[in-house]
Amino acid sequence: MSRRSIALAVVGILLVALPLFAGNYALSVATLILYFAYTGQAWNVMMGFAGQLSLGHALYVGVGAYAAGGLFFYYGIGPWAGLWLAIALCVALGLAIGFLAFRFGISGVYFALLTIAFAEFTRIGFDHFGWTGGPGGMFLRVAQRDTWDLANFRGPPLMYYYAMLALTALAFLACSLLLRSKAGYYWQAIRENEEAARALGINAFRWKLLAVAISAAMTAVAGVFFAFYYNNLFPEQIFNISRSIEIILGPVIGGVGTLFGPVLGAAVLTLLSDGITEALGAMGFDIPGVKQVFYGLVLLGVVMFLPHGIWPPIARRLRL
Amino acid sequence: MSVLLEVRGISKSFRGLRAVHDASFDIPEGDINALIGPNGAGKTTIFNMIAGVYAPDSGEIRFGGVPIQGLRADQVCAAGIGRTFQIVKPFAGLTVLDNVMVGAFLRERQASAARALATRIVERLGLGAKRDLPASSLTLPDRKRLEVARALATRPRLLLLDEVMAGLRPTECDLMVAVFRELNRADGTTILLIEHVMRAVMALAMHIGVLHHGEVIARGTPEQVVRDPAVLECYLGEEAEV
Repeated sequence: MSRRSIALAVVGILLVALPLFAGNYALSVATLILYFAYTGQAWNVMMGFAGQLSLGHALYVGVGAYAAGGLFFYYGIGPWAGLWLAIALCVALGLAIGFLAFRFGISGVYFALLTIAFAEFTRIGFDHFGWTGGPGGMFLRVAQRDTWDLANFRGPPLMYYYAMLALTALAFLACSLLLRSKAGYYWQAIRENEEAARALGINAFRWKLLAVAISAAMTAVAGVFFAFYYNNLFPEQIFNISRSIEIILGPVIGGVGTLFGPVLGAAVLTLLSDGITEALGAMGFDIPGVKQVFYGLVLLGVVMFLPHGIWPPIARRLRL
Repeated sequence: MSVLLEVRGISKSFRGLRAVHDASFDIPEGDINALIGPNGAGKTTIFNMIAGVYAPDSGEIRFGGVPIQGLRADQVCAAGIGRTFQIVKPFAGLTVLDNVMVGAFLRERQASAARALATRIVERLGLGAKRDLPASSLTLPDRKRLEVARALATRPRLLLLDEVMAGLRPTECDLMVAVFRELNRADGTTILLIEHVMRAVMALAMHIGVLHHGEVIARGTPEQVVRDPAVLECYLGEEAEV
């Protein structure tokens, strides 16, 4: 076994055993970390692998959440069916955005602007649709919290933790397989130099669309989780651009294009920002916005001193 | 010998600037052909039209009897034409082997098969010792070799080489010449090269086309071309020693 797989196994065992010695609060923080690790991994497929910068991934979280949440709210249809609607809608949206951009040669920051635009006008639209509840929000029925109701994805925090752990592990595995496949090589070639990639027989348009579709589908699943975990959905919150930024901070700080980066970045950010809020609270301070300032400082430090993220130097040091 | 590539009267203008005018030539299968001419003669424009970077304004390009003008770059490559870039374009963040594997995936679905093919090609181009280094760490001669290796990994029937000798020292240049000769002899790969380095052209080319102001002014064997008065005047210069 390589050092890398041993490290992975150790982390995996620790995460599976975590509920044995963690209370509900620690579990909720861990769930949040895994949530950002997962969405970061999804975003990384598009940006880290294929080099297409999305600053509007909240779009897929929101549409996924409202698709599955709406089905449950209006028709009592559980998330296992809603999941497929969420994925289908998000893939369709991603393909539409990708088609518009790649067909007309929109790339780089202009592509990023397009992704923001779609997230923003979806937010405004959802604020005005009657069936979403508009700015007043949509509230899913909160049922028994002590038994595991897997069919309706209702249960104690432990269930959500393990669900998120399973998703994150699956995403990690899928991404590591993708990266080593033809798709991974083609995406990286497009990321590094699109013209050279085309000259090697790569239909860049098609492969970029595939990256967007996979990333959107993965993020849609996070949206479904979000809906059934938090039980309340507000367009203003879920589609907000700061949600999109939160998704990309993990991989940016951990290391764009790496498999461990999104996971490590999510853990570092969530733990530190929670820790700071806690510590300040204990000292009697309650400063609104301290989390944002903290994110800004960490980002500044990483960009200045570790432009490739914190994972690559760690990997070198530990020979992983 | 059958004709592999037929170029018939292609023209291309950029905003009124006539880059290539009514250029025609044939490349027989198994041949090594050179296209020479002064800077701005339209050599790279012709290359780009063959490789599908842009379509000719008029004229026809046939590859193996099938019209290919207007196809996209990736379709041209899939049809069996590999190319290198004059200004090298390595996938800087990937290793040498991974760079070549990207090309190998055109004909191989499985990563293991692509890796095997890429490894053979990397060895052949003399990059074996550097296969695990990032492409960004390579020197210019090695980057030129990497360009060739990547193009070869797509298993082309026709290889377009855009000034791969430029910037190489004479000994490095001779090594490249040996690689192309071997490639042509052993695999039967047809080669079309644009080149300024006459040392390489004379050593390699079986036929030469001379381009001037976007027009083909002479075609023939190297011996014929270097004695052509029109060529001497416009390009080689009267005192040229070959």
